[in-house]
Amino acid sequence: VRRALYASLATLASLGLLGAFAMAFGHSPRELAIVLFNGAVGSPFAIEGSLLKTVPLLLTGLAVVIAFRSGVWNIGAEGQFIVGALAAFICARGGIVTALLAGMLAGAAWASIAIVLRFWRNAPEVLSTILLNFIAIHLLGWCVNGPLQEASGKYPQSEATLELPLLGRTSVHAGLLIAIGAAMASWYLLYRTATGLRIRATGLNPSAATWAGVAVRRHVFLSMALSGAMAGLAGAIELFGVTHRLFERFAAGYGYSGIAVALLGQLHPLATMVSAAFFGALVTGAGELQRSADVPSSLATLGQALIVLVLIISGSFRSRD
Amino acid sequence: VIDSLEIAIVAATPLLLAVQGELFAQRSGLVNLGLEGMMLTSAMTAVVVAQLTGSVAAGFAGGIAGGMLVAAIFGIFAIRMSADQIVTGTAINLLALGATGFIYREMQHNAMFARPVPHLDQDLIVPAAWILFPLALGGLLWNTRFGLGLRACGENPEAARAAGISVSGYRWLGLGIEAILVGLAGAHLSLALSSGFAENMTAGRGFIALSIVIFGRWKLKGAVAGTALFGIAAALQYALQAMNRGVPFHLLLAFPYVVTLLILCGLTGGVRAPEALGKRER
Repeated sequence: VRRALYASLATLASLGLLGAFAMAFGHSPRELAIVLFNGAVGSPFAIEGSLLKTVPLLLTGLAVVIAFRSGVWNIGAEGQFIVGALAAFICARGGIVTALLAGMLAGAAWASIAIVLRFWRNAPEVLSTILLNFIAIHLLGWCVNGPLQEASGKYPQSEATLELPLLGRTSVHAGLLIAIGAAMASWYLLYRTATGLRIRATGLNPSAATWAGVAVRRHVFLSMALSGAMAGLAGAIELFGVTHRLFERFAAGYGYSGIAVALLGQLHPLATMVSAAFFGALVTGAGELQRSADVPSSLATLGQALIVLVLIISGSFRSRD
Repeated sequence: VIDSLEIAIVAATPLLLAVQGELFAQRSGLVNLGLEGMMLTSAMTAVVVAQLTGSVAAGFAGGIAGGMLVAAIFGIFAIRMSADQIVTGTAINLLALGATGFIYREMQHNAMFARPVPHLDQDLIVPAAWILFPLALGGLLWNTRFGLGLRACGENPEAARAAGISVSGYRWLGLGIEAILVGLAGAHLSLALSSGFAENMTAGRGFIALSIVIFGRWKLKGAVAGTALFGIAAALQYALQAMNRGVPFHLLLAFPYVVTLLILCGLTGGVRAPEALGKRER
């Protein structure tokens, strides 16, 4: 509860900074706040938009949380997101469940490369995942310009693929339920199973964990693979739920935003749901700001950055438990 | 062929400056993932200052100032507060992307920024970046006490401290050198390669530069060779695209990263990363 308070205070402070920044450019923070709020949650349409943005943010946020718990920063979520979507697209013929599983598998495999290279050749995963991101981006570029390009050959994009079922009469797709389920499952795994305990012990103090008889490497590997699976699932769901097609700029920075989501969620799977919903609302509200109040939507990105920096200052996420 | 080679070299100049900058930061033990944001910020400050003063030289100074500003933020978090370098770097990238995008769009409403952006005609930065800087910085890194101290902070900060070296002082200096070089890189991008700022105009160059630092095995010779190779591969892409021969140029683009990954694993023998790279100072 104290940490939730910390996170809320940090968020308020960041929003205050954001308002001050906007004020410096001659906008009234009060009006901005009203437009932002209405654009994010003010109408059923706005809420649907916010929830749609929440899904990929929640899954990439979970990816970062799970990896971090074993002591690894997964900054390769962007690449895992892409290969997840690619694999899902290719396996779409086998039905949506098969395709989602393929996406998870591909994301896990992509993340595993980095961790295998670390154990085998001592290659820092921070650097290898950046390289793997680039390889994934170019792989996607090749696919949508070559083997997977739409038959008309007009644009560098794929054919339209399957669509996830929608929830009721809304525009929100079933991916939301999958993402919430993933968050619950991650919490259960990390806090209610022996494996989760070992993963957390590994992240807290690898040498102590070794002495306590934990197979450190196996658990780092496991949590990184799970992390990649989450990011891959995010890509697959974004493909089937929102874009329905692959194109070159498919990932759109969700992998990096996941780090901000995870930090605001205090690196806890359940709190990450709240934090993802908040960022989803922020992004959607900022889009409305640009449309109706002519205020650049980059404000949302700025907000994410400010929150992370304020959180570092308050030092609240350093206490990992 | 010579022409296109020259174009490739000129186009890769900001990249090379950024690579050399990041190399210095990493030799001191800092992984600055915020390189992308640093370059983006300095590209914008360079344009703003150049428009306000009407002078290209002032624009370059403005670019360096922008780099310094980002370096100061990174340093306060990563050195002073010993915060996690990866989180800080990621936050700085988001910060720069958001702030420059916001300010750029706001500027469009201001008549003062409708003025033409002064353009660099005599490009002395290119030879400086490819010949002068690598030689001078190589000498600095390998043949001076300063360079020895800097490398010590990157390899074994405890030993360096025991030898009476101020680890944080050296890291600030390494970061400062990076800020100057990356500031020049951003200014060159917006004032010489293009005429003005555009949202997210660095388009991943910072991350490519991070890859080249690895490709070049944390050496200046490697930095120059690696940048040339990446630059030529990028230029080849456009040539192949224009010819439309159906060569899968995207795979060609991915190739340097695969090679870099192999180098990172030490499969091609030799040098590894500085030992204390990215580790938190307590």
